[in-house]
Amino acid sequence: MAHPVLARVVRRETHSPRTAAAVAVIVLVVAAAIGSGLEIVRYLLGAAPLLARPAAVLTWLAALPAAEPRAAVAAAAVAVAVVGAVLLWLAAAPGRRSVHVLGSAAHAVVVDDAAIAAAVAERVGREIDLPQGAVVVGIGHRTADVTVRPDLDQVVDEEHVREVAAGELAGYGPARMRVRVRVLRRGSSR
Amino acid sequence: MNETNRGVNRAVLLLTGLALLVGGTGLVLAATRQDTAVLWDGSWSTVISWLRQTEEATRLGRTTVSGLAIAVLAALLVVVMVAVVVLARLGGGRSTVVVREDAIDGVRGAVVIRQGFASDAITRSLSSRTEILMSRVSASTVRGTTVLHVSVTPRRGTSPPEVATTAVGLVDNLAALTGREVPALISIRSGARARLGSDRPRVG
Repeated sequence: MAHPVLARVVRRETHSPRTAAAVAVIVLVVAAAIGSGLEIVRYLLGAAPLLARPAAVLTWLAALPAAEPRAAVAAAAVAVAVVGAVLLWLAAAPGRRSVHVLGSAAHAVVVDDAAIAAAVAERVGREIDLPQGAVVVGIGHRTADVTVRPDLDQVVDEEHVREVAAGELAGYGPARMRVRVRVLRRGSSR
Repeated sequence: MNETNRGVNRAVLLLTGLALLVGGTGLVLAATRQDTAVLWDGSWSTVISWLRQTEEATRLGRTTVSGLAIAVLAALLVVVMVAVVVLARLGGGRSTVVVREDAIDGVRGAVVIRQGFASDAITRSLSSRTEILMSRVSASTVRGTTVLHVSVTPRRGTSPPEVATTAVGLVDNLAALTGREVPALISIRSGARARLGSDRPRVG
């Protein structure tokens, strides 16, 4: 990558911005804030509450652990804690997208994993002369899983499949991917 | 690719996640354990009595309005305003200008190459190729530098390095034409159309 700004561009392209989750949270927080504000204003004006008076909400929260049914309260509390844990995970996890960066000279090239999988499947299928749909490829961050399901009369050498797949992946630049090959017999489950 | 402040996104998730996790865990413990239940009751009654006292102390005359209520409303307003600012600042960073050459000595006028020109030049060349189903070009400003973003959807099964070479070649041609090197991000995607447009030319 010739230009220093491309490093930033690639990092932003390969990691999730978490915008969807953040927007969802912000919308809910705004709704809660507006709701609380309305209740407070209605209370100050002496109007009837829409849902509950502010003081009633606080006392309800205070009495919540002893509320019946106990199991429902505990379950709801666990649900809240789990949602919190998920949000923390979203905040802290790298959020890597399923894409790979190709080693290219002057510019940055990012390829989505499904495109890589399709290219590897195409190459393996063509070189070994397998019918369409007989090769299934899954691409992970560091692994490529190649599953081949040849016709009954066809003999497929696992090592050959591995070489062809690795040959295709070798053109992709520095990212080393481990190739795993499985040859399935027709009619067998694995 | 945009200039969304991702740190803010993460901070929003971190703060709400922390609040929900602490609140949920506290409630679970209070509902199941006696000592936490005592602690829960104690803290809440302290908070509620403090609120009552403060409300009485800051009451304005004989009205129901108190300084406390106004302060809480102001805090809620601040929360809403911050949220609106965060939402309004999502995205951005799009640029309509790819190259700008200001008028200097010996040059009669400024030269500006717009994103539409670069976009047309690149997508036209790519659409003439059978292995490319769709392409889109946009420009964005990243830390003050214009970056070209070429998004290409090739026919399913096309080798990505070949597509990359084609696209890089076109970007370099544009640079040669305009005399200005623009850093580019080329993203190769497998869209729904790539799946539909799959074909496997075979011999024999």
